[in-house]
Amino acid sequence: MIKLDDVTKTYSGENVALRSANADITKGEFVFLVGPSGSGKSTMLRLMNKSEEPDSGRIFVAGKDIGKLSSWKVPMLRRNIGSIFQDYKLLPNKTVAENVSFALEVIGRPRSVIKTQVPQICELVGLGDKAEKYPHQLSGGEQQRVSIARAFVNRPLILLADEPTGNLDPQTAIGIMRLLDRINKTGTTVVMATHDAKIVDTMQRRVIQLDTGNIVRDEREATYG
Amino acid sequence: MAIRFDYLAKETGTNLVRNPSLTLAAVLTVAVSLALLGFSLIFREGVGRVSDRWSDDVEFIVWMRPDASDEQISAVDQKLAASPLVADHSYVNRAATFAEFVEYFEEVPEVVQTVEPEQLPTSYRVVPTQTDLSFVDSLGQEYEGQPGVSEVVFAGDFIKQLNAITGLAINGVTIVAAVAAVAALLLMYNTIRTAVFARRREVEVMKLVGATNWFVRIPFMLEGLVQGLIGAGVAVLAMFGVNRMIRDSRAAAELDFVNSFVLQPADLGPISLWLLLAGAAIGAIGSGFAVTRYLDA
Repeated sequence: MIKLDDVTKTYSGENVALRSANADITKGEFVFLVGPSGSGKSTMLRLMNKSEEPDSGRIFVAGKDIGKLSSWKVPMLRRNIGSIFQDYKLLPNKTVAENVSFALEVIGRPRSVIKTQVPQICELVGLGDKAEKYPHQLSGGEQQRVSIARAFVNRPLILLADEPTGNLDPQTAIGIMRLLDRINKTGTTVVMATHDAKIVDTMQRRVIQLDTGNIVRDEREATYG
Repeated sequence: MAIRFDYLAKETGTNLVRNPSLTLAAVLTVAVSLALLGFSLIFREGVGRVSDRWSDDVEFIVWMRPDASDEQISAVDQKLAASPLVADHSYVNRAATFAEFVEYFEEVPEVVQTVEPEQLPTSYRVVPTQTDLSFVDSLGQEYEGQPGVSEVVFAGDFIKQLNAITGLAINGVTIVAAVAAVAALLLMYNTIRTAVFARRREVEVMKLVGATNWFVRIPFMLEGLVQGLIGAGVAVLAMFGVNRMIRDSRAAAELDFVNSFVLQPADLGPISLWLLLAGAAIGAIGSGFAVTRYLDA
């Protein structure tokens, strides 16, 4: 589903974020990217949805070399990739339901689809009764659920998660991980950057470990290490 | 994948209302800048009229010497009458000249007392067939050396000066208008950029979930269009208001000169239309450009 072929990315010519990285992530996999801050986890995620361009190497998503994608086709790529972040990136002046339906509106989905999809996805992430609340009225865990709902409402093939539990207490984090696990079980490929060892150890999934831009370990059913 | 109309209407509407201070800032910037532009256009029009009015009367005067003989006087008269370039001419005799003199120096009777009608020269007032300055000039020269003629005075001399001054004024005002237009453009672009900056997060999310660039841009452009139109509307109202104030002022009633600056609705119409168009275009295009900065991230 996602393939990195000898990918190198440096920032401002000097700081190497990723060096000759190779990885092959198959459909339906759940992959943890682990490593300290600045090891290249976020860069790897940003390269996958073409938020960044690699200096060299090729990246394939669903069999297509996204380096060759013309800029007007990038939105189409992103429609197949959901993204969630540590800081949720919710729009503060929209309600839960509006935040979620916004994702469908801006890709031009008809109103009838939005009407059925939005309540359904809110229910799925466990916020059926909070659809009319604003983000500031919700806890951190609930806000992350909204952002997952927004990322998943379009049923993407891939979900990229950049430290989604970074701001949450362990108990809440477990809830989020259960949700991501459920989404993964529907066949969605999940790639999650984290430095939460406990979560990685509990889940026992594939782990790609990065250190200063190098992939130093790639193991199945592994622990944080 | 057409953009839904209800989505556009909702987004544009809520965004305009949600950030009242920024909306107000944008609208006021457009209003002030375009009003400035409008005023300079009005002023330009007014200055143009002043010189128009004066150049209607272009003529020259052939002054005869006070001691010119009757033959010399009638020779000039015949020459004027025969010339196909002269539309009309009139002889101003001593009595008429004296009457004008008396009227001119009405307030200084001492001057009038020192002059006798016999001392005053007679003259021919000439209306040429064309009012073109160089034409009048060369026609007048022909009489300069004529026997009995003391001098030829061109109303053109005065008009020339006036034209030079109004020409300068028009150029000046045009430059001011151009500068005002550029200032308006920059001010609006800056205000719009601030407004877009305030919503960069929204743009980021839109891009993230796969909105196309145009889908992101269009609501912003519509918003700019509405703000630009409202701003231009305010500017147009201000223009009409100031025009009315000048019209109703005492100065306009007493001075022809000031009255030239009062525009009729027929003149204000096109200016208003241009301002509205400019406001809408600047708002929409400025927003479009401002958003683009955040699209290529």
